[in-house]
Amino acid sequence: MKITLEKNVMENNDRAAAFNRQLFNKTKTLVINIMSSPGAGKTTILERTVAELSKDYHIGVIEGDIATERDADRIRKKGVEAVQIATEGECHLDPRMVAKVLPELDLDAIDILFIENVGNLVCPSEFDLGQNHRVVVLSTPEGNDKIPKYPLMFHVTELALINKVDLLPHVSFDLDKAREDLRAIQPNSRLMPISAKSGEGFETWIDWIRANLEACQKH
Amino acid sequence: MHEMGLMEDALELVAEDAEKHAFQSVDKISLIVGDLSNVLPDALRFAFDAFRESGQIPILSQQASLEIIPEKGLAKCAVCGITYEPNAFIATCPECGMPFGVLLAGETFKIESYEGS
Ligand SMILES: Nc1nc2c(ncn2[C@@H]2O[C@H](COP(=O)(O)OP(=O)(O)OP(=O)(O)O)[C@@H](O)[C@H]2O)c(=O)[nH]1
Ligand SMILES: [Mg+2]
Ligand SMILES: [Zn+2]
Repeated sequence: MKITLEKNVMENNDRAAAFNRQLFNKTKTLVINIMSSPGAGKTTILERTVAELSKDYHIGVIEGDIATERDADRIRKKGVEAVQIATEGECHLDPRMVAKVLPELDLDAIDILFIENVGNLVCPSEFDLGQNHRVVVLSTPEGNDKIPKYPLMFHVTELALINKVDLLPHVSFDLDKAREDLRAIQPNSRLMPISAKSGEGFETWIDWIRANLEACQKH
Repeated sequence: MHEMGLMEDALELVAEDAEKHAFQSVDKISLIVGDLSNVLPDALRFAFDAFRESGQIPILSQQASLEIIPEKGLAKCAVCGITYEPNAFIATCPECGMPFGVLLAGETFKIESYEGS
């Protein structure tokens, strides 16, 4: 016997993402999902970001990696609570993995929760975790072509941090070209050049977070 | 490669429904996979075979087959209104060159039907 089901396979994920989102709304936690290819600088950016923001706010971090606790340990050294998810082979975080570790975090107290996704420019872009904002990091040594080559990632994110701009004199990366390519894929996305090493551009990035936190805690 | 996890979700959704119908076995599953869904049919087939052989989804019979129904991508330009087949996730309109195509089809990834008894 044939049964017509017409069911979205992503339904399980969507349900879990909606659950997370409701919880974050209730606790008024600003949640930022940070994605990039391996080594673009997500953890280094977070180290500097939490050092700056933890003066004023209660911060939490979820670290997603295929294996090890290393990234969570780097964050804990900054005096901020961090939970590591080791995906054991999965190339992305999904909302169920996130939901599973949420009880380890004091969401009522946490103002800003950063989620560092598994280093990968493809799969993480397809999974809604229930976050408020999705941010992609592209580092200058990776080259301009990553934007047109991984369009979905640049389409679903609202901010592209161009990291390692301290290396611009040594690598061929064209910021204007990046702006143009980004506009073609996601006209509403913003490009922000930063360096997690020198701190260049961090004021703008921190302001962006503060403005979003204000908006999130208003309603 | 996340087709393994997605196939597991699909099989669980089918198993859940098949149990409601008091089926003893599921012999065929038909999935609709859009060109722009970022799900690879070959990887899905590989995952399906792996789950069938492992017996992890008991209701899935050892003879079960997988049908993949492709869905072509279709976009409508928000500026000039023509519809076109986008060659990538977001493509510029072939008429006016604006990058404001709204996808009408191609992102689907769903279970169309299954057969069992
Ligand atoms: N020159 C320079 N190097 C940087 C910058 N940011 C990060 N790095 C270096 O880039 C390397 C990778 O940085 P991580 O922060 O570990 O990158 P990641 O994105 O967290 O990597 P995964 O978690 O493995 O995906 C390290 O050696 C950092 O020191 C930067 O702004 N400039
Ligand atoms: Mg990292
Ligand atoms: Zn047009």
